[in-house]
Amino acid sequence: MPFDFTLIGRTVPVLAQGLYLTLALSALAIALSALWGLPVVLGLMSRFRAVTVGTRTYVEIVRNTPVLVQMYFIFFGSSIAGYPLSGFTAGLIALTLQNGAYIAEIYRAGIQSISKRQTEAGLAIGLTPGAAFRIVILPQALRKVLPPLANQGVVIIKDTALVATLSVAELTFQARLLADRTAAVYEIFLTLALFYIAITSAFAACMRLLEWRLRVVQ
Amino acid sequence: MSTAMFGTLIVSVPLLMRGVWITLLLTASAAVLATAFGFVIASVQLFGGFALRALAEVYLYIVRGVPLLVLLFAMYYALPYAGINVDPMLGGALVIGLYFAAFMADVFRGAVLAVAQGQWEAGRSIGLRTPRIFSDIILPQAIRVTGPPYINTLVMLVKGTSLVSIIGLADVTFVGRQIVERTLAPFQIFGGVAFIYFVICFVLSRCGAYLERRTSYVH
Repeated sequence: MPFDFTLIGRTVPVLAQGLYLTLALSALAIALSALWGLPVVLGLMSRFRAVTVGTRTYVEIVRNTPVLVQMYFIFFGSSIAGYPLSGFTAGLIALTLQNGAYIAEIYRAGIQSISKRQTEAGLAIGLTPGAAFRIVILPQALRKVLPPLANQGVVIIKDTALVATLSVAELTFQARLLADRTAAVYEIFLTLALFYIAITSAFAACMRLLEWRLRVVQ
Repeated sequence: MSTAMFGTLIVSVPLLMRGVWITLLLTASAAVLATAFGFVIASVQLFGGFALRALAEVYLYIVRGVPLLVLLFAMYYALPYAGINVDPMLGGALVIGLYFAAFMADVFRGAVLAVAQGQWEAGRSIGLRTPRIFSDIILPQAIRVTGPPYINTLVMLVKGTSLVSIIGLADVTFVGRQIVERTLAPFQIFGGVAFIYFVICFVLSRCGAYLERRTSYVH
């Protein structure tokens, strides 16, 4: 079967119908995961053993099970439980639970990478422990956290493709429908791949720009 | 634990185990492929000429930007049209292996770069050639730091194999979904499926920790 470049031009508008859902789900999942990572990292670094053990258990469970199975668990489970969630919502919850745990580990590594002396120096000039963390540690940790956070964001964008199995009409779902109808598989999946490369590249570029803006000029 | 609560899960165990077999087989073959090809990519990145390095970068760029599911679909839909009838099991292992090879390459390359530059210079100063320096000085040190990220990537690979259920391979996720469609017991069944993955990944992590202890220096 020959490759037909004109088909790519005709595929783009159809896939673009799914673009909005992919972008919306990616943006929401990235934002919610980054937020959800905060209470999780507090739990991981808590003084209370019960809290640490509980949070650690949660992190190990989601990190060692596939996000697809979590999506099925939430999607099919919610409808049996009598509170049916849409595929979009179930996917969003699963992505947030999974990636929030990874992001919490990123936060933890960022905070722990800042020397303890920084806190001590803050305390020595009379800051309260809370203020020392907010003013001294956090801005430094934030810079360290950005590159791995960007990587995790790309992982989230790629994982949004999984909600296609919950009948959410995003990019991959549209591509699959089109492939079933037209059999122009090479053109369709090439276009689909280019869509994802464009989204992940744009996201990575934005994050690098942010890193550059927040850099310390020495 | 009452049997009433887990009744459906307990009677489903034999069926699920057939899926586990497929998952393990797929994991093992994809892991071998990912390790071998990842090693090749890392070597090209570190020692290859300009053209080969550019090729490796393009490959990594594509794999990092495109979801595994899209690559699996591409394989599943496109190959039959190209007149290639590949066994889905083989195709799945191939795509997953080649996909995670990109992440393995990062692990291996990072490990080699983590060895201090002075080690190369030390090797050169006692008159060794590059291949000898690499195999006798750099590699043994690099392997020691490869353990944890290598195992992390393997855990990602195990989780990634669950996507083959979408292209119709009867792995443990696929079997779980079929059982749920008939029994309407998603919490038990998907809970059980998640537990199976957890055990596989947990065993892998333990092996990794053991290997790390065995290969690390005694301080």
